Amino acid sequence: MIDSVLSVSKDAINTCLTVEESNLFVQDGYLSESGVIEHIAQSAAAMAGYGTYACGHEPRLGYIGEIKKCRFFSLPQVGQTVCTELNVLGEAAGVTLLSAVSRTEGMEVAECQMKIFLEQQPL
Amino acid sequence: MTKQELIEKVNSVLAEEFEKEVEELTPDANIKQTLELDSLSLVDMVALIEEEFGVKIASSELVKIQTFQALYDYLEEHMA
Repeated sequence: MIDSVLSVSKDAINTCLTVEESNLFVQDGYLSESGVIEHIAQSAAAMAGYGTYACGHEPRLGYIGEIKKCRFFSLPQVGQTVCTELNVLGEAAGVTLLSAVSRTEGMEVAECQMKIFLEQQPL
Repeated sequence: MTKQELIEKVNSVLAEEFEKEVEELTPDANIKQTLELDSLSLVDMVALIEEEFGVKIASSELVKIQTFQALYDYLEEHMA
């Protein structure tokens, strides 16, 4: 659910996804809320994966622990590109709290907070 | 910010976020027990502290901060 990674660091990532008609999460010509969340979740996974890869470690299994403060303002249409900016808000006891803002053509379509948990042992 | 002002701000911010009475947050009280934090909500506290006081609590330091007094002292020591 990510076409491209525009920028990535240990604490932030920017990704994009162009919505295709064939996308599993498209309904009536729009990417559904579940699809936007899955796009955000996979952006978080990409950032976590980059973090372990940059340290020379093997990828680790990750889980979404919680999604909260989720708001949708509109939904991306087929053919549009949704871009998401993720930032780390905090880390504690292996759990990372992220904030996500997704935009289409510069207009905010969704925002949420997400907690991810990475297994200590590599895959 | 004086130490007393710091204590009052910490208590009010945490009490509001975790829906507790300020009176419950006594210096010797255990933070996790008082705020009923699990591994998922612990990171909310860390993020809130960083947002409100500009102090990042590293995971290695977090294990040493068991009571509110330890939190006050840590913040006092690390605030610019």
